Amino acid sequence: MRSYLSPVISILASLAVVGVMLAVMGINPLEAYIVMFSRSFASRFGLAELCVKTTPLILTGLAVAVPLRAGLWNIGAEGQLYMGAFAASVVALYVNLPDFLAIPSMLVAGAIFGMGWAAIPAFLKAKFDLNEIISTLLLNYVAIYWVEYMVYGPMRGKEVYNFPFTDLFPDAATLPRFFGTRLHLGFLIAILAAIVMYHILKKTEFGFAVRVLGANPRAADYAGISRQKIIICSMLLGGMFAGIAGMIEVSGIQLRLRPAISTGYGYAGIPVALLASGNPLLVLLSASLFGFIYVGGSALQTTYSVPVAVVYVFQALIVLFIIGGQSLRRGDHA
Amino acid sequence: MLDVGFVSSLLASSIRAGTPLLYATLGETLTERSGILNLGVEGIMITGAFTGFAVSVLTGNPWLGVLFAGFAGMALAFIHAFFSVTLKANQPITGLMIVLLGLGITGFFGRSYIGEVAVYINPIHIPHLSTLPYLGEILFTHDPLAYIAVILAAVLWFLLFKTRYGLEIIATGENPEAADSVGVDVDRVRYICTLMGGFLVGIGGAYLSLAYAKLWTEGMTAGRGWISLALVIFSGWMPQRAVLGAYLFGGLDVLSFKLQAIGVGIPYHFMKMVPYVVTIVVLLFSVIRKRAAFGAPAALGIPYVRGKKE
Repeated sequence: MRSYLSPVISILASLAVVGVMLAVMGINPLEAYIVMFSRSFASRFGLAELCVKTTPLILTGLAVAVPLRAGLWNIGAEGQLYMGAFAASVVALYVNLPDFLAIPSMLVAGAIFGMGWAAIPAFLKAKFDLNEIISTLLLNYVAIYWVEYMVYGPMRGKEVYNFPFTDLFPDAATLPRFFGTRLHLGFLIAILAAIVMYHILKKTEFGFAVRVLGANPRAADYAGISRQKIIICSMLLGGMFAGIAGMIEVSGIQLRLRPAISTGYGYAGIPVALLASGNPLLVLLSASLFGFIYVGGSALQTTYSVPVAVVYVFQALIVLFIIGGQSLRRGDHA
Repeated sequence: MLDVGFVSSLLASSIRAGTPLLYATLGETLTERSGILNLGVEGIMITGAFTGFAVSVLTGNPWLGVLFAGFAGMALAFIHAFFSVTLKANQPITGLMIVLLGLGITGFFGRSYIGEVAVYINPIHIPHLSTLPYLGEILFTHDPLAYIAVILAAVLWFLLFKTRYGLEIIATGENPEAADSVGVDVDRVRYICTLMGGFLVGIGGAYLSLAYAKLWTEGMTAGRGWISLALVIFSGWMPQRAVLGAYLFGGLDVLSFKLQAIGVGIPYHFMKMVPYVVTIVVLLFSVIRKRAAFGAPAALGIPYVRGKKE
């Protein structure tokens, strides 16, 4: 019971602190929170936006959660997302495929490039014990500049008036949308990914090995589990999910490649995974909470012209309160 | 185009571009030497940039701005220290949340200061020396903060490697159990180093808004905090090497713009990648060769709990 209490208290505490900030700006916090709720839940467009923002957060949440279960920090979901988006865009724009193959090929390409980008820190960690937090973090910037280079240079579209965009994808390369809203197939793909990952972690030998390594590396050695193999596999799986997130973002929402396709989804994956304690099914829940914060944040912007940056404050506070609560319970701080 | 004049103006602007990096790198070096990994540099820097700018606008005194930027940096660093030292929480995660917090708070309160004009810190041309050919422009035409940064690097080097305090700090970062056993107050050392580190990183931010870019915009640090984290590794946790590293990475930044302007073929975006790639390579070398001179403090990022061996 207590483990459910801590996130709830953390969320309420964060709402209180942000409420004070809003009040300082001369905005009634209660009204502001009502705006956030009504914008997200009161119409089908609001609900669709909620799902749209939740989709990449589920996937980046998984991208952090799976390595986390093995005791690894994947701070690189942002870069892996960009690489996935890049690969999917190349397939969408330059590979001639029968229509029905376009989306699956993009999905595979995105997954592979996300994996490939995660493979670098995974290999360096497994082989040289190079700190994965630093290497995944640094590689994010390399990936983001790579995508910028592509859209400013070789991949810049012919019909974009010098904007750093590619041309729009052909229709066959865009994810189908539903109910006349922006809700798209990617939402279902993300949910499916979380359910599949839950079963892999829970039911398979690999999942068992991941959990043992994460819980107690020495026990993993005694059980004959290869640390290196699990490090690499769990990081690759993480990169795959982030890569798919990138593919879905360009194919479902942006419909082209451009800079800044992610508003920090990769980094938001960290609190999402943490809040869910690495459990893929709980990731669904925590991703929708952060999706709500994203949608609510833009509602505040349009209604009160509060900068969207307030979203970051929410994220940071929730995590800090959760970590603080955990440490207090653990009781080794005295 | 690549004549002596071009080179000397490039070197002069490398120093200007490198100075904010130098402050942040020195601050984070001090923090990490005590065993605390504060990934929040980007967030602390942007908070310093905003606070410095806002205080300068409000009071008309840029130096007061610099001072308060330091205090603001300290305040964020205190959150990190509280979580890392007192709560023994996960340092990388807390640090990343400091980044979000800094970007969020400054984005939130900074909106109304965009487009404002503050009182800035201007270069002083040192008499006689600044008129030396080439050398004068490179070395003697900077603002006071740029010179202070170099002096600070020397002071930090002296503090760390030549004084008793330095010995205690390094011992705390390398082997807190041993430091504790000879009577060093590990928690206190880590608090002080993290707070002072935050102070310096905050000043680095103020340098950006008050002396380098001379404006305030949301997210204006644009990755310089991450570059500084890379620089700490690149310089092997040595203040004296941080000076050269900061000017080198600052120079790369300037060069990428200049080359783009004169149409040389190396794409701008590849130049922007260099610091990150170089840092990974340096880190890899340090891990493979296990060379102490390039190594991280042994207890970096590990919470210290008395009587409990981790």
